[in-house]
Amino acid sequence: MFDVIVIGSGPAGYVAAIRASQLGLKTACIEKSSSNNKPKLGGTCLNIGCIPSKALLDSSHRYADALNHFSDHGIKVSKPSIDISQMMERKNKIVSQLTSGVAGLLKANKVSQIIGNAKIIDSNNVEVSNEDNIELLKTKNIIIATGSMPIDIPVAKVDNKNIVDSTGALEFKKVPKTLGVIGAGIIGLELGSVWSRLGSKVTILEAMDDFLPMADSKISDDVFKEFNKQGLNINLNCKVTAAKSNKENVTVNFNKNGNQSELIFDKLIVAVGRKPYTNNLFDKNCNLSIDQNGFIPVNDFCETQIKNIWAVGDVVRGPMLAHKASEEGIMVAERIAGNHIKMEYDLVPSVIYTHPEVAWVGQNEKELSDAGVEFKTGSFPFAASGRALATGESTGFVKVIADKRTDTILGVHAFGPSAADIVQQGVVAMEFGASAEDLGLTIFSHPTVSEALHEAALAVNEQAIHIGNNKK
Amino acid sequence: MSTEIKSPTFPESVADGTIANWVKKEGDYVKQDEVIAEIETDKVVLEVVAPFDGVVSKVLKPAGETVLSAELIAEFTKEKIDQPSKAPDNEAIGEVEKEEVAENSNEIKEPPLKHGPAVKKLLKEHDLNEDDIKGSGKNGRLTKADLVNHLDAPVIEDEHKSVSSSASLSSSSPERSEERVPMSRLRSTIANRLLTVKQETAMLTTFNEVDLKPVKDMRVKYGDDFQAEHGVKLGFMGFFVLAAVQALKKFPVVNASIDGSDIVYHGYQDIGVAVSTDRGLVVPVIRDAGSLRIADVEKSILDFSDKARHGKLSISEMQGGTFTISNGGVFGSLLSTPILNAPQTAILGMHTIQDRPVAIDGEIVIRPMMYLALSYDHRLLDGKEAVSFLIAIKDQLESPEKLLLNL
Repeated sequence: MFDVIVIGSGPAGYVAAIRASQLGLKTACIEKSSSNNKPKLGGTCLNIGCIPSKALLDSSHRYADALNHFSDHGIKVSKPSIDISQMMERKNKIVSQLTSGVAGLLKANKVSQIIGNAKIIDSNNVEVSNEDNIELLKTKNIIIATGSMPIDIPVAKVDNKNIVDSTGALEFKKVPKTLGVIGAGIIGLELGSVWSRLGSKVTILEAMDDFLPMADSKISDDVFKEFNKQGLNINLNCKVTAAKSNKENVTVNFNKNGNQSELIFDKLIVAVGRKPYTNNLFDKNCNLSIDQNGFIPVNDFCETQIKNIWAVGDVVRGPMLAHKASEEGIMVAERIAGNHIKMEYDLVPSVIYTHPEVAWVGQNEKELSDAGVEFKTGSFPFAASGRALATGESTGFVKVIADKRTDTILGVHAFGPSAADIVQQGVVAMEFGASAEDLGLTIFSHPTVSEALHEAALAVNEQAIHIGNNKK
Repeated sequence: MSTEIKSPTFPESVADGTIANWVKKEGDYVKQDEVIAEIETDKVVLEVVAPFDGVVSKVLKPAGETVLSAELIAEFTKEKIDQPSKAPDNEAIGEVEKEEVAENSNEIKEPPLKHGPAVKKLLKEHDLNEDDIKGSGKNGRLTKADLVNHLDAPVIEDEHKSVSSSASLSSSSPERSEERVPMSRLRSTIANRLLTVKQETAMLTTFNEVDLKPVKDMRVKYGDDFQAEHGVKLGFMGFFVLAAVQALKKFPVVNASIDGSDIVYHGYQDIGVAVSTDRGLVVPVIRDAGSLRIADVEKSILDFSDKARHGKLSISEMQGGTFTISNGGVFGSLLSTPILNAPQTAILGMHTIQDRPVAIDGEIVIRPMMYLALSYDHRLLDGKEAVSFLIAIKDQLESPEKLLLNL
């Protein structure tokens, strides 16, 4: 009899399992077997998401730097070339290092690792089947952390030859000359950036007429301009109507503002989002239902409708982000152990790991206006940051939004160098209920790009030193 | 050697509590099982006692702070801390010290929390005392918003000092003062529940009156014997509880409750009896009243009243309940409309007993009369059932022998 069975070993699952075991609960973590009968621990994040994409983003960024910017510094190199197979090998090595790291962590924390396909019979019974046998495991609690998978669209069926999803886009054997990307969301922008830097002519087709609607609108506008400048040809309001793949390439038909057009690409990436993954998870007698979008309904504590069954990560509502998933895993493990932990859903940061990065936490101006909250803002452009100029990374800005009366920070938005790390400082401040003045009164090292956050916070109360303050 | 002092483990229904009072302060020497602190929850005041003889070495959660179930609130050491004025050398000094402690117990010094820079600045600028402002940040830290709100709406929490409102500032008339004190948790829980019931049920009240002469006669005749036999006074409540139980058995729907779209019929009669305390009204529950005798009921009520007045009622003693009796009569109320105790379906209101002329068998006679009120949730109960239920209670009280015969 286990205290906790975690289904899935991604950032939600393995973290939940480790914390549960740390709290003295007898814990198992189930991961399905893959082709070589070895489980792929670490989920989407480690295997086919965050980590491999960051490996390629970094490699491609270095290449683009050598190609385009070394000469700015007076560094002369002969034209750099790319060895894609070595780039992929480096990526794969990082992935295998981290996934075996997860196995080690589970072992060190005395979590039983079970390989097989899990099926929930009821809140106390989980059936695990693999090639060898079927086993029924007894447990007091079940944590579902089965994650998500790419959404496929019927007009552009993934064939893993010329039409691929985000997984296939991390595995190209050579740089496609022309690359189409359906979807201008976080995944489309990151993968588009990778191959664009490596030489692909990239065209992004986005069905909506709003670009990055979840980000602050000033940031979306600047990001749109910058990425088009970088060579990502982002087309909004383009509904793909057909994609036909032949031996060499893909013909994509789309409707832009009512006009039918056609483009031919060597490769096409479908990155229109992800959907929760619960295939074969529930026995026919298990009454746990999923909503019309496939999510498992849960409350703020990640409790499902059935007592002692919990669900965390991409398989439940909220942004599909590894750090959100992990924190939910921690919360559930703690709550099972009887600790009253609550998650601060308003403070989940979002990041797009392009170059420059895009990141934000809290609310943006539109959300606050819609909610009728009175606020004040302060912005600071990296073009006025000494460090950013010295590094040659002076695109973008940091914006701090605070409550008009109490000065409490309501949002931090950044586009520029190390935006993710700058916003993270805002997350810490907001966790403690900080005001813009608090950040303004805090010492920041000079010269750092983080100073842009300091100045933006000062600008909220018209006290910025290194830019003019617009008296409102 | 230091031990952790934790708040008690709260039941599922209690999310958190507030440190109401540190009975002992930092450095105080306490005997085993002596009360160190009191924690107020939505339902009761819980006591935290010393695990063994020792010294409260560090208070981690000052009074007024919210604490979770089994959360660390203080550190406790077995050794006497090297503080000559606090550590008793012998029994006699210990006694003296304890008296001094009692006098000074409201001067608890909170351990300093590190505040953010804007908060420190504002505290200085406006010459504010951080202890006067409640922190909403992590672990009760003050945020700038707390200070801005405090400055926008000044509130002095000292109960003896009244605050002049902006209106009275201009008139400068001392008798037009206002006093603001934060609601206690019990008060705000009561406020929320009553409002919720008003908004979420279809509540209305039916009235009747009861001639209590037969009950009174019985009390006069057997009161002394009853007390001698059972060690408890024969009051009115015993009769009312038993009459209610009989009526509930006849009308099970009055004993039922609504849960979502279901009606839950309870196969037992757990009767809540509202007891007034200086902290507010609490409703301990007499379990399985259907199987009790009048003496048992009287004993439980006496026991509950004692506990309630001393704040010692446990949460489990107040949970559940399928029907409630509220006695406004003890304060002299002639007629009132009680509010339901959700999710219960009905509540009986007792009132003051008055000698009134009534017509019985064509004669005007003076009888000890009491108005009865039954507030009920019209979603579940029709008027016919509610009225008949109240009449059933009236009938039994006017012919108490029916209680004996289960009529």
